[in-house]
Amino acid sequence: MTSLMKPGAPDRRRVRTHGGTAGPRGGGRTAPHPRRKSSRAPWLYLAPALVVLGGLLAYPIYQLGLISLFHYTQAQVSGGEPTTFEGFGNYARLFGDEQFWQVLLATVVFAAACVLCTLTVGCALAVLLTRVRAVPRLALMLAALGAWATPAITGSTVWLLLFDADFGPVNRLLGLGDHAWTYGRFSAFFLVLLEVVWCSFPFVMVTVYAGIRAVPSEVLEAASLDGASQWRIWRSVLAPMLRPILVVVTIQSVIWDFKVFTQIYVMTGGGGIAGQNLVLNVYAYQQAFASSQYSLGAAIGVVMLLILLAVTLVYLRLLRRQGEEL
Amino acid sequence: MKLSARTVAVAAVLATAACAPQTSGTTSSDKDEKTGTLRVWLFQEVNNTPKEQVVDTVLAEFEKAHEDTEVTVEYIPVETRAQRIKAAFNDPGSAPDLIEYGNTDTAGYVKDGGLADVTEEFAAWDEAADTDATARQSVTVDGKVYGAPYFVGVRALYYRTDVLDELGLDVPRTQAELISTAKEIRAARPDLYGIAVGGAYTYGAMPFIWAHGGELATGKGGSYASAIDSAAARKGIEAYTSLFGDDNCPAAKCAGMGGNDTVTAFASGKAAMAIGGDFSHAAVEAGKVKGKYAVVPLPGVAAGSVAPAFAGGNNLGVLKSTSHRTLAVDLMKRLASKKAQGALFEGMGFLPTFSDVRQQAAAKESFVKPFVDTLAADTKFVPASPAWAQIDSSQVLPTMFQEIVSGKKSVAAASGDAARKMNEAFGSAG
Amino acid sequence: MSLPRRDREPRVNLVRRFVRRPGRLAAETAALLTAAVVAFPLYWMVLSAFKPAGEIESAEPRPWTLAPTLDSFRRVFGQQEFGRYFLNSVVVAVAVVVASALIAFLAATAVTRFRFRMRTTLLIMFLVAQMVPVEALTIPLFFTMRDLGQLNTLWSLILPHIAFSLPFAIWMLRGFVKAVPEALEEAAYIDGASRARFLWQILFPLVLPGLVATSVFSFISTWNDFLFAKSFIISDISQSTLPMALLVFYKPDDPDWGGVMAASTVMTIPVLVFFVLVQRRLVSGLGGAVKD
Repeated sequence: MTSLMKPGAPDRRRVRTHGGTAGPRGGGRTAPHPRRKSSRAPWLYLAPALVVLGGLLAYPIYQLGLISLFHYTQAQVSGGEPTTFEGFGNYARLFGDEQFWQVLLATVVFAAACVLCTLTVGCALAVLLTRVRAVPRLALMLAALGAWATPAITGSTVWLLLFDADFGPVNRLLGLGDHAWTYGRFSAFFLVLLEVVWCSFPFVMVTVYAGIRAVPSEVLEAASLDGASQWRIWRSVLAPMLRPILVVVTIQSVIWDFKVFTQIYVMTGGGGIAGQNLVLNVYAYQQAFASSQYSLGAAIGVVMLLILLAVTLVYLRLLRRQGEEL
Repeated sequence: MKLSARTVAVAAVLATAACAPQTSGTTSSDKDEKTGTLRVWLFQEVNNTPKEQVVDTVLAEFEKAHEDTEVTVEYIPVETRAQRIKAAFNDPGSAPDLIEYGNTDTAGYVKDGGLADVTEEFAAWDEAADTDATARQSVTVDGKVYGAPYFVGVRALYYRTDVLDELGLDVPRTQAELISTAKEIRAARPDLYGIAVGGAYTYGAMPFIWAHGGELATGKGGSYASAIDSAAARKGIEAYTSLFGDDNCPAAKCAGMGGNDTVTAFASGKAAMAIGGDFSHAAVEAGKVKGKYAVVPLPGVAAGSVAPAFAGGNNLGVLKSTSHRTLAVDLMKRLASKKAQGALFEGMGFLPTFSDVRQQAAAKESFVKPFVDTLAADTKFVPASPAWAQIDSSQVLPTMFQEIVSGKKSVAAASGDAARKMNEAFGSAG
Repeated sequence: MSLPRRDREPRVNLVRRFVRRPGRLAAETAALLTAAVVAFPLYWMVLSAFKPAGEIESAEPRPWTLAPTLDSFRRVFGQQEFGRYFLNSVVVAVAVVVASALIAFLAATAVTRFRFRMRTTLLIMFLVAQMVPVEALTIPLFFTMRDLGQLNTLWSLILPHIAFSLPFAIWMLRGFVKAVPEALEEAAYIDGASRARFLWQILFPLVLPGLVATSVFSFISTWNDFLFAKSFIISDISQSTLPMALLVFYKPDDPDWGGVMAASTVMTIPVLVFFVLVQRRLVSGLGGAVKD
């Protein structure tokens, strides 16, 4: 069904492409299927999807932008006062607010740390999975699936209990007394990071593992016969071959980790002491739904949207460069 | 054709202005149905059972009096009330008919257009004549009445008699003594907080600011200006925040606590003192410290004086959007009636808003005395501006206290920031 | 990287036998240890759900209990209509999974088996749509739902979740639809099958494994949803879903850990079961999605 499941020509192509003989874009690509030229049928099939996406994705995005240009607080929403057009007033307020920049910085650093840890752990364990027999593999796979399946909200409460100052086993184990993990800015972020990595590394691990399995075994054998170390094999054989997969999991992780909401909201009690653990998403929520500054919250949402859009563009470029057929 | 940036901008403005986001139009509902289901939101208290019993009794009578009516009550957590109630204003269709709300929120809710004007019904209600002046003021905006006072909340100092006796300490008579006593207790009994304080416990902190001569804001009517960064207010902030630390209430634990948390800590025997309200009485009685504590008015700066207390309390209000106005008003009157308030006092210790009922209560129960004394000494209120609801819900003051106690900012810097945010809110909400 | 040389092979096999053993032992120990660490939070969750109250709130937490009790579960199910919330969550999740799978199947067929103008543009749009931070849309969606009069109804959760799981589902299904040989389609038409018949009776069953893998994602994101439930179900608690019910036990000042953990267990188990059931499909499905 896919080139991944049936190791064959396409994989070789990727190796070659990476090796520097980057020939014509997508040189080894199979010729496009002969497709029916029908003008109406595809649109008929697409109609439900387009209606749903148009109404519940495109329209809200438009509205988000719109709200961010108005002065829109509780009084306007419930009709106590008329709405007034503000232009970029909300953005000016936002960019003039020191806290916004702090939150933005925290979001970027936090997301980057999460992505890095998730990828490292996920890839390392994927490699580990290929080196062990069935029983340990199954054990690790099941444990990882369990973590993956755990809803963010239950994961958050469980990790809070594990690290609870009074009743948690972790402090007891590490001999930390009643150290409160959620008090310090970094320790609170660290705790959330642990939870995020715990519940998101399985996706990386499973995907990368599926990718490694599709790599022709002779290639790996050859590498290990040459006496290459694990790290070297990963660096110069696996990573280049898995590049397309790695790009996907990286981008997915960036997107997920950039908009972490539940974990921060639940674990730091809505943003931590004096708002020290706010990230953009929670900040927008607090501005909009707690302080009723809907337009300010919308402006934050727009900023988030633009940042992720930029990430997406990078992703598209990478896909194109790999000669992926859309 | 090439459009200049300016043309595009103008076109964009026109396009957006043409379709501004709509408002929900929470104009009062035309309907006034006499049957159906009434939805009521009340606050969840620390020990809620007695409150539920009182409410259930009233509801039973109400449902008997009105055929084919049903009432569903939801107890909502105080911490998230702002979100819940605002959301209700946004969606009349799913909003409750009757809510309990903190008296500091009255001005804001009225400006939001959420509460129904019940001036006529209130005037025609025979029991209303005995409502005390402060309570009546707390439901009034610009001469119109927007609800019925439910109870008066005033805070005082709870302390453990057994701990003070054991350590040979006297009940503190000034704020300086309060602080030194707290630290002495902590030094002798490291398992206890000297006095439980919370970084998010705004109403516990206010008496310190007021006692030092500070104010939250100055001004009248429409125009307020923050005074939280004045020299006097800063002294109060310093006094309050000096209570956070390993020598009394470790910041790691206490910075995040709110009022309920400090009461819970006291009730479960983890603190030797706490600033609690009359409304905390039931929770403390139900805790481990029953019979081992007493209450006095929170001391002021000078010996023997009482720190000005925050005149808190909750009201009941009918939502403008209700489609059962008559029924909702009747239910409001029943829930806030003298009889119900008397029962609520017995169950929860909530001070009645009717002067006569309160006097009877004080005569019956001695624990009320320190609270009544505090009320008599001096009480203060938050700025009567719609901006207050916003300042409160965007956590301006808790953030300030937390910044100070966690060492992120100095008192001067944190109070300066808080003042700026408050002024911004006053400016925009006017 | 060089190619294996045949002449070295026999000797290497011997060497490998000696060298690999300790290496593998270390790897397997590491794998088992990691599995234990990863599973520990879940173990602790289930354990705490069964512990009696006194043992949870103890300064000496023990990793076992000698007196397991169902008290916490009783408290959870005794809470106002917990079963109702569970059912609500199931209704929302199932509705989203089914609807988004069907819609995505049609859309994926359109973009893989037809050539038409704007096809590439559409695909890129689906990709971009996948990246939209749905949380940022909470504010406008709130107002949209209000205007539609759908706040406090399960629709306010179902509709947005369908929209948000669609782009990824389409993207993922594309690979599966593509993998069905063209020849099959042609053969079907030669046999006189109508387009609808081909679509539902031939293509659909063939793509079903892919649909299952896809539904994992829509199921999880819907089942786990906290933000929308918190924002859209504002007053009618009978329409609450599980995450909100769980938070009832989690009061910051005095959390009922036993209740929280019991509710968490109840909430996690359906997802876990679902995952284990589709585990194989998931691994291959992911491979198919990320690389086709």
